[in-house]
Amino acid sequence: MSKRQIAMVMDLNKCLGCHTCSIACKTLWTRREGMQHMWWNTVNTQPGSGTPHGYEDMGGGFREGEAQKGYRPSEDDFGKAWDFNYDEVFHGGKEDAFLQANYGEWNNGENWKGPNWDEDIGGGEYPNSYYFYLPRICNHCTHPACLEACPRKAIEKREEDGIVLINEERCSGYRFCQEACPYKKIYFNETLGKSQKCIFCFPRIDEGVTTACSRQCPGRLRFVGYLDDPDGPIYKLVHEHKVALPLHSEYGTQPNVYYVPPISSPKFDEDGNPTDESRIPLDYLEYLFGPTVKDVLDKIESERVKVRNGGESELMDLLIARKWLDLFGPFTKHPRDVVTASPVRMVGHVEDNNPAGVQMWDAGAQS
Amino acid sequence: MKSSRVSNIDSYRDPRFSGWSKAGAESINMIPTPMAMQPTAYIRNSRADMPHGQVSSLSVASVHDGETLAIYLSWQGVSPEGGDFPDSVAVAMPVKGNPMLVLMGAKDAPLHILHWKAGKGVKSMQAAGIGLSDPGPRVKISSEAKTEGDRWHVVLTRAMGKGADIAPVFPGAAQKVGFAVWTGANDERAGLKAFSIDWVPFDVEA
Repeated sequence: MSKRQIAMVMDLNKCLGCHTCSIACKTLWTRREGMQHMWWNTVNTQPGSGTPHGYEDMGGGFREGEAQKGYRPSEDDFGKAWDFNYDEVFHGGKEDAFLQANYGEWNNGENWKGPNWDEDIGGGEYPNSYYFYLPRICNHCTHPACLEACPRKAIEKREEDGIVLINEERCSGYRFCQEACPYKKIYFNETLGKSQKCIFCFPRIDEGVTTACSRQCPGRLRFVGYLDDPDGPIYKLVHEHKVALPLHSEYGTQPNVYYVPPISSPKFDEDGNPTDESRIPLDYLEYLFGPTVKDVLDKIESERVKVRNGGESELMDLLIARKWLDLFGPFTKHPRDVVTASPVRMVGHVEDNNPAGVQMWDAGAQS
Repeated sequence: MKSSRVSNIDSYRDPRFSGWSKAGAESINMIPTPMAMQPTAYIRNSRADMPHGQVSSLSVASVHDGETLAIYLSWQGVSPEGGDFPDSVAVAMPVKGNPMLVLMGAKDAPLHILHWKAGKGVKSMQAAGIGLSDPGPRVKISSEAKTEGDRWHVVLTRAMGKGADIAPVFPGAAQKVGFAVWTGANDERAGLKAFSIDWVPFDVEA
């Protein structure tokens, strides 16, 4: 158990599925060799099979405190990035050439998943079709199945903030962590022979800068802070207003990423009139966020009504986040103001041209 | 077992060299590492119904020329290519003290290990307990491996002598040696392996 726990709350009512968070993360952290298939931050359409494909049926985690056997996802399960025929289209000299990816019927049926294979498919039948977006990162669990599975003690949970990190010096690439993580948020770098995952942007956090995914989010849906900070947004949303819930808490790892569940549009009846019934089935939201999700939805709805009627609501003010930096608790610094002043040490391989053995933050990739 | 002296080691680097058939290979009994000794609950729970360490016999021979030690290892079980984990074999010797093989050594009694992995070659490793293996001392080592049907033939060599973390091997001196085999196709890695139960006496001919 760490002394403090950093956490993230994502308000799913504000996620527009733009993937800016994923790109911010990819640009900053997973551009090196062996990381092509890695998206430490993903945004999947729900209902859907998620990333890796079918992760909710891959086991791992704990049941009644006992570690459960899990499946080890492959690069194919995560979905390899597609290649496109840019050369043929732009330089091939054929007027009828069109852009196509190397998947599905153009690739003997192989590589069809891609990294976000079921985007915007969702569920339901028109006019009552529905979907919402679910961004995911490593949950930096209080009871991390990955850490407990590793025979090399290569995974650490930082004492000061509970961030879970893989020590690549100690990792032998045994991949028990991948099997044990029920959220399947650990990737394997075939080039290095090491497991890698979201690091909660710890070099930024150490400097008072919030994570790249939260800072870049145009929808302002990611709150960052300490769970025990009564003045911060996380404590208020999780403990005070109790509107933020963990994903699949039944996996038994006590995740530290929380979600404000999505308020659904109403279902239409046969005449096209809105009904009292929610278009997103409640049982689906309960499957994701547990049995208290109805209470949370009711609470948000009642606060909305209060504001509509001219009243004030601390919860609505909090969720709206009129002041952008209010989202980030104590992590409000601009990366520009800390990078040059304090080069950041990274856990990772040593560049030959860097005799100090320290890989410097790529200042050109500020997020 | 005995490491016989030969005039020159070079031909023995090839596991197909006919000299190996005259080197008096011994069959070492291997058993699965005990499940109770696996270091994490996840490994114990997830592998409870998936037997590991099914290689029951390892054929071992050794020669040296006073400067280089060669160890020939052969066992049945070649995994198909493309799996997540390679077939693998390791030879361990105590660096000092009287460590237990099943405990993979101790802090004051470490092991020096030559660990060969299919497709990756051999590495010098050291271990001071279960889950506490690390890159080992710098020592001149080499490996050559061949498959013959479903059988591996591997020759590992290392410079004789001793060093701070290098297990001592000298002509005329007694050592002891332990073995482990991992079957990649059975997802064996880390402590999931077959091993030689205890040390095997290893007499290096003068």
